[in-house]
Amino acid sequence: MSETVVAPAPVEVAAPAEAYKGRSVPRKEDRRLVQGQGVFFDDLRRHGMGYVHFVRSPYAHAAITGIDVSKAMALEGVYGTLIGEEVAALTDPFFELSTPPGADIKDYALAVGKVRFQGEPVAAVVGATRELARDAAELVEVSYEPLPTIVDGEAALAEGAEILHEEAGSNVVWSGTFDWGDYEAALAEADRVVRIERLHFHRFSSTPLECSGCLVEYERATGQWTIYGNHQMPGIGAIWMGPSLRCGLDKLRFVSHDIGGGFGNKICLHPYYVACCLLARKLKRPVQWTEWRSDQHMANAHGNERTFLEVEVPVSADGTMLGFSVRAIDDCGAFPRYEPLGAIIWAQVTPGVYRWRNIRVDFTQVCTNKSPVSPNRGYSRMQHLWLTERIVDIVALELDLDPVEVRKRNFIRADEMPYETPNGCVYDSGDYALCLDRALELIGHDRLEERRREAAERGKLLGLGIGSTLDSGTNNFGQSQLLNPELQFSGNNEVATVKLDLFGELVVTLGTVPQGQGHETVAAQVVADILGVSPDDIHVRPGHDSYWNSHAGFSGTYASQFAVTGLGAVKGATELLADQIKRLAAVILGVGDPAAIELAEGHARLRDNPEAALPFMACGAIINANNAGLPPELDDVTLNCRYVFRPHFEVPDKERNFGNLTLTYATQIHACVIEVDRETGVTEIVDYAAVDDCGTRIHPQIVEGQVHGATAQALGAAIHEAFVYDEDGNLLTPNFYDYHVPHALDMPPMKNGYIESPSPFSPLGAKGMGEGGGAGIHAVCAALQDALRVAGRPIVDTSHNPYHRVWQLLRDPEATRRLVRVEQR
Amino acid sequence: MSAPVSGRTVTLTLNGETHEHEVEARRLLVHFIRDDLELTGTHVGCDTGNCGACSVILDGRLVKSCMLLAIQADGCSIETVEGLANGDELHPLQQAFSAHHALQCGYCTPGMLMSAKYLLDNNPEPTEGEIRRAIQGNICRCTGYVNIVAAVAATARGEVSA
Amino acid sequence: MLLKQVRYVRPGTVAEAVQALGEHENARPLAGGQTLINVMKVRAAAPDVLVDLADLGQLRQISRDPDGTLRVGAAATYADVIGSSHVNEARPVLAEVCAQIADVQVRNRGTVGGNVCSSDPTNHLLPLVVALGASMTIVGPEGERTVPAEEFFLGVYLTAAGPGELLTGVAFPAGAGADGFASVTIGRDGTCIANAAASLDGGTPRIALGCVAAVPELLLPGSADEDAVREAVRNAELDPPSDVHAPADYRRHLAEVLAVLAVTRAAERGRA
Repeated sequence: MSETVVAPAPVEVAAPAEAYKGRSVPRKEDRRLVQGQGVFFDDLRRHGMGYVHFVRSPYAHAAITGIDVSKAMALEGVYGTLIGEEVAALTDPFFELSTPPGADIKDYALAVGKVRFQGEPVAAVVGATRELARDAAELVEVSYEPLPTIVDGEAALAEGAEILHEEAGSNVVWSGTFDWGDYEAALAEADRVVRIERLHFHRFSSTPLECSGCLVEYERATGQWTIYGNHQMPGIGAIWMGPSLRCGLDKLRFVSHDIGGGFGNKICLHPYYVACCLLARKLKRPVQWTEWRSDQHMANAHGNERTFLEVEVPVSADGTMLGFSVRAIDDCGAFPRYEPLGAIIWAQVTPGVYRWRNIRVDFTQVCTNKSPVSPNRGYSRMQHLWLTERIVDIVALELDLDPVEVRKRNFIRADEMPYETPNGCVYDSGDYALCLDRALELIGHDRLEERRREAAERGKLLGLGIGSTLDSGTNNFGQSQLLNPELQFSGNNEVATVKLDLFGELVVTLGTVPQGQGHETVAAQVVADILGVSPDDIHVRPGHDSYWNSHAGFSGTYASQFAVTGLGAVKGATELLADQIKRLAAVILGVGDPAAIELAEGHARLRDNPEAALPFMACGAIINANNAGLPPELDDVTLNCRYVFRPHFEVPDKERNFGNLTLTYATQIHACVIEVDRETGVTEIVDYAAVDDCGTRIHPQIVEGQVHGATAQALGAAIHEAFVYDEDGNLLTPNFYDYHVPHALDMPPMKNGYIESPSPFSPLGAKGMGEGGGAGIHAVCAALQDALRVAGRPIVDTSHNPYHRVWQLLRDPEATRRLVRVEQR
Repeated sequence: MSAPVSGRTVTLTLNGETHEHEVEARRLLVHFIRDDLELTGTHVGCDTGNCGACSVILDGRLVKSCMLLAIQADGCSIETVEGLANGDELHPLQQAFSAHHALQCGYCTPGMLMSAKYLLDNNPEPTEGEIRRAIQGNICRCTGYVNIVAAVAATARGEVSA
Repeated sequence: MLLKQVRYVRPGTVAEAVQALGEHENARPLAGGQTLINVMKVRAAAPDVLVDLADLGQLRQISRDPDGTLRVGAAATYADVIGSSHVNEARPVLAEVCAQIADVQVRNRGTVGGNVCSSDPTNHLLPLVVALGASMTIVGPEGERTVPAEEFFLGVYLTAAGPGELLTGVAFPAGAGADGFASVTIGRDGTCIANAAASLDGGTPRIALGCVAAVPELLLPGSADEDAVREAVRNAELDPPSDVHAPADYRRHLAEVLAVLAVTRAAERGRA
């Protein structure tokens, strides 16, 4: 069932009539993008448009005691302003997903009465040019009364802590416990119990290069808003914005063409979009907003920050892990927005890649005076999988076992697939042991000790670490009901349309919102295989437009699901079209049974007599413009097919917190070799191997591109990237100087390997795989801990280990050793 | 020397075409190219001159156009991504980028291409290290640079698929 | 990201430039702009007048005097320095360090003068010019004067080239070129977290530490022995700033390690 493939096939250009699935065909998107002809929202112009600049809070927490826009309004070229008071009058607060107290939080497009994070927008100014809007913004006078700040998740829970949201009366957004299997029995059975006092997963994000933004038009006659922007999940965006703006969802048309990366950071744009909608309506002109880089770092979205306390791991002497218990505190920043979904999303991968059956998680999510979070790449699973990987490596260290052996002993086995986890998720397929072997081979595991010696001669400590991730894809939104039983969300869907036009053109529209994943190309491959044409014969409309009627409530690109839901919709629509073409051809060619028709080389023809063929153009012409005389049984043949792909999910069991939460599970097992300078703590990743299994690869080159990119982001986060706040809630890393992302010289050599364990549950056997990068963070932490074994065996207790942190571990290994206790039983 | 001005008419050549335009002294060259000359291939990705998405070649030197005022480019000759292709025929670098999947979202790509062109114009046989150094000023969040380096190396070797 | 209104002038001679800087109260010279434009984007400083030095070709010259003094014009770009045969013969460490600054685009525009005049404690050339005993030539309304590098830096963003004055060049005394530089940076070729430069010419080592104070810290240990160097660093009782990249004690530690490394490299270069 699995085959090992070392590298994808190179791009092939000439395409004979054979299957396109599995081939790295040239990307349709490329031609315009390499010529700088991509259409990103900031490229658009509208006559009379105004440019928006947001006035933002310098304080992390303060009461707003006054706003005066008069001086800004007096500046020539200023079209108008918007303040929180207006927003509170014209809109309803955004709908909250949580139960009380989180449910009572009031979240608006602009700060109302109070600011809760540095950079929070307080007012908007619109000017005739970008520069004028910026100048005018400086003339807006806002007076603040600073309040005490909370910048730590644990502090948010402390007795007497300052409360961010008075209406909620608590900094808790959501809390609950999960208890699967029989943890007490596992404890009783254990030979050892390893206890880790505290681990911390830090705040960072994928910082897409294109910042957020939109250009909004409002049509007075109909109350129709058109939003040209880069929202990557417009279905949900509309669900927030419609009730807020008190309009029907169809009044919100989302259009996107090219998007410069999203990675989950363009999901919670609705506050800004509502502000722009209000301005477009108020000022009777199109308004355009471009987020600046520092805005994105301060006031768009971060990844979830999570602290793990009281980690407890019962184990057998031979390293079999019997379960774990943890108290998690998730810091979601000043407003929950997409949260508290992060409080359950991790449960898609509760045991990680391991065969634990007894798991207990006490989960609390809190607000702090930091940027709100959104589902950054790897969302919530990455944080949890980091925990499981840290546990494995720390247990191995404490029990003096080889982390490779501990993994193999505890991995879920290929012959157990599909595997039901303790909380009812079904891992569809995978072979973790094989991936690990492949990764170790690629990284040269057998030469490890030799490399260690050689590095030591140069004054470096060398370590090897492994990181495993599962990229769980295609959510069952019913998991939201485990957090809040009143929520009316469950299942998932995606839409596509395929039509055969009058002159024989095949046109596809997608509900997905690609930000670089090559959807146009891959969709065309799928269509080509079904209809017997070449991808070049298929036009896939770039981007997304809710006027296409090709979207549903969950449409968008997120949660590693395009290969399943997007392509599932494309497949479904194309099969409908194929069926219709065959039925039409059967009638035209005078045979009774459509099964006698095959589609090949752009024709519908008789299987037994290929000369009797109807070109697609003829089919299109007949239905669209020349349909007299067609029999009634062809009334429903429109050659314009829309399909909604719906993965089959059940609403999870709310009593037991049990049920399948995602459809597919792609595997990433990565290995990393790191060198540490003993004197300075400066680290260098000198070797890296990534083995991925995302089932059937439709376009191997695109899959590999995702692995490269996700890995780069992980390595950046592991060493350099962090959103750090001081105690007053000032963000210390608001730009690319201080928030250092990997540049070309920072990247280690990378070796990639693949196996394919097709998913039995997805339409094409493919699995979503865009979020697998977390493995890099886990691998770096593991490699670091391995390198420092000879320097006092410190524990790597945080996901972010810049040079000064490594130096600290070298200097004082005892400080982290004190976090771990092993009880013999 | 005339008195300081808060704006003036700027004349420059861009991809071989001469442009004359009124400009405020404070206008950044990147905004001049994008908004005034309406060539939106050059992109803005940051506000501190780190990301390189705005890279262009000015009087034969690779620069970040967000770190220059338009007024400084008066009398200069600029090359942007829009000048790479020859009609319908893509530049070898553009072809190689596509063949090697050296772009995903395409946002860093124009700047990346200009940096790659600048490299190959000055160093036709670069090592891998030299290629990485040449694009060190261009941030990409999608690709991890692996395929970008491969594409530039392939172009240097003359191995570009049609 | 968007600048305030500003006025712009492009003088044709140094005298005109000095005149323009003196005439307008809040005028600043614009060289490569790799710092100034960023500062203006953030509106941390908003000069009223920018005096563009682009037409002052003489400020880009790099030359050797008959006595071997290396003269680098203030408007020489990092790329100019890297490609200069004079620099590579006389003080190759200058080329080596300029080659570590940021990236191609920055090196094509950023200037030696801009690097030292912005007096950002994390800049590469600050400790280097101090360690090498360079002298800074300043032209003002009263004429030309030279200031030793170790007296040039007065504070963060503050140098001896005051309002109305223009740094025109940096001169490095002739020597064997036994110079070294060491740094720890945020990523490859990134901003310095700590740096140190050393010169062993003339016997007694000159070591300058950057990043640890508002201005480079000059150390003159008795010898180039590692112990002497470490002792000199400790005796300096450094009180470095803490920031997100380095707490104070880490910076202090790096200063010591890098001082030793810079001296080692200087010695190696001296032997080469």
